[in-house]
Amino acid sequence: MRPDGLRIVIAEDAAIMRDGLTQTLSRRGHDVVAAVADGESLRQAVGEHRPDVAIIDVRMPPTHTDEGLRAARDIHERWPGVGVLVFSQYIETQAAAELFSRAPAGVGYLLKDRVADVSDFIDAITRVAQGGTVLDPEVVRQLLSAGRRGDSLAALTPREREVLSLIAQGRSNAAIAGTLFISPKVVEKHVASIFGKLGLAPSDSDNRRVIAAIRYLES
Amino acid sequence: MEPYAGIVLQDAYGWVRRHPRVADGLLAALLLAASADQLRISPLSTALAATAVSALIAATVVLRRRDPLAAFAVVALLGAAQLAFGVQPGDGLRVRALGPTVSDLAIAVLLYTLAVYRPRRISLAALALCLLGAAVAVARWAPVHTAHSGGLLLLAGAGLGATVLTAWVLGDSMAYRRAYYGGLEDRLAVAERARELQEQRARAVDESAARLRRIERDLHDGAQVRLAALAMALGEIKENLEQAPGDDRLLALTVAAHRNAKDTLAELRDLARGIHPPVLDRGLGPALALLAGTSAIPARLSAAITERPSPAIEAMAYFCVAELLANAAKHSGARQLTIGVREQDAGLVVTVADDGDGGGRLVPGGGLAGLLERVQTVDGRLRLDSPPGGPTLVTVELPRHA
Repeated sequence: MRPDGLRIVIAEDAAIMRDGLTQTLSRRGHDVVAAVADGESLRQAVGEHRPDVAIIDVRMPPTHTDEGLRAARDIHERWPGVGVLVFSQYIETQAAAELFSRAPAGVGYLLKDRVADVSDFIDAITRVAQGGTVLDPEVVRQLLSAGRRGDSLAALTPREREVLSLIAQGRSNAAIAGTLFISPKVVEKHVASIFGKLGLAPSDSDNRRVIAAIRYLES
Repeated sequence: MEPYAGIVLQDAYGWVRRHPRVADGLLAALLLAASADQLRISPLSTALAATAVSALIAATVVLRRRDPLAAFAVVALLGAAQLAFGVQPGDGLRVRALGPTVSDLAIAVLLYTLAVYRPRRISLAALALCLLGAAVAVARWAPVHTAHSGGLLLLAGAGLGATVLTAWVLGDSMAYRRAYYGGLEDRLAVAERARELQEQRARAVDESAARLRRIERDLHDGAQVRLAALAMALGEIKENLEQAPGDDRLLALTVAAHRNAKDTLAELRDLARGIHPPVLDRGLGPALALLAGTSAIPARLSAAITERPSPAIEAMAYFCVAELLANAAKHSGARQLTIGVREQDAGLVVTVADDGDGGGRLVPGGGLAGLLERVQTVDGRLRLDSPPGGPTLVTVELPRHA
């Protein structure tokens, strides 16, 4: 797996965005092997090129509702080695949860707004290509604040809530440590505490714990 | 035989209704023809004068619809002249030209016309006049030298009186029928117009919803995309500047511009969602689930919809729930909300309940009043149950389509 120089397929029906993404990714040393504008072409391109990751807009022709979402699920089933990063103009927690419910490795769901922070965006693509999980912080924020699990979440300390949020976004312990400026050991302790308070089984895999976190928040 | 006769009568009646003047002319001609025996009077000048009088009387029949009162007045005058100067037993002035003729039946026709087209007091006055005239006529024309003059007088009087009375009664009842059917037609016209207006309103509501969807789509495909591309470019420039040591002011400027672009993106997204939330295209269920999921106060949703209502109604239901949730967050002090959607009869019932303090009121100019107005544009209903101390239940009834 080459951390730089990923092979990428882009599916986006707006030409400006398609070109902009292609250029930005190329400038960072990645190889955009195909840029398409609808679900069918996307499936064909992925089948043909077997990229490391496919960047997919949720809304595409013909119905402009959820073609991208369905294509992402199909691709992830047929070609598990291909990461899928789904971009959405608006938050739909249901769709996100569906996306992650099966095989979470190599799946990401981000708001389109995130392209504005280029490095973070490239980082997310890389994580998905490497089999990680990425969930938009805004989605996580809504899940946390939706108050469904208000009582048990209230049992967490503010720091633990921060850590839970980053877990749900798909960050590894190391990344969480870096983001919060604490040591990885402290992160581990927080994680254990969180999972204990929420009654979740401890899990080694980063991906699986994302799922556990999301499922817990969504239920 | 009977049904055939019925059809013929109907056809004849229809023809008469379509050609009233011709029918009147025929009637006049008939009356005149019936007075033809006047031509046998000698001398010829008198015969012609008598016929002229009859013709004049008959002619008023043709003009009866144009001005019933004037026509009646003419005949009444001529009739009075006949009574005064026409045939009479015994002595006195005798103008043979003014003798009674069959044309005099025209007076009954005209009385009928007056009763149909003019107010009752006028036709009653005319009736009185006619009855008076009939009495006088009987008195003057009854043969005085017969033995049974009394009985004959009575019979003649009754006959004339009955004719006149019948004419008036027929006319009056026809007037009543005309008013009744006229009223029915008016009501029918009003109902037609109301149906037309309702259709127009439904079209307007649907078109407005469709227009909003198009605006959201244009925003999404146009301004939002360009803005995202712009923000991406600014982000790249910012990061390049951050890595290469250089002009701090330039970096600061770029950071600000980048921040601006991102904030605008977020604002535009919220604006577009306020115009038409894209999730609505997936249906009311997912849309309300999103609202429930992002509600500040924990909200439960129970939705049972088998058939999707029209897009305009889905949008209306969505915005109602959004407003009600926002309201509850601001005022209710509740800890749990329940959103319900179910189908009922030909429409949809949407409920939002909270376990808060209650005391909600429909204040003119307030959010709930605004909702009520919106809902009323599709003939929907809104009910508020909010006793002080709670709980609160808002019920919105909507049709399936505008």
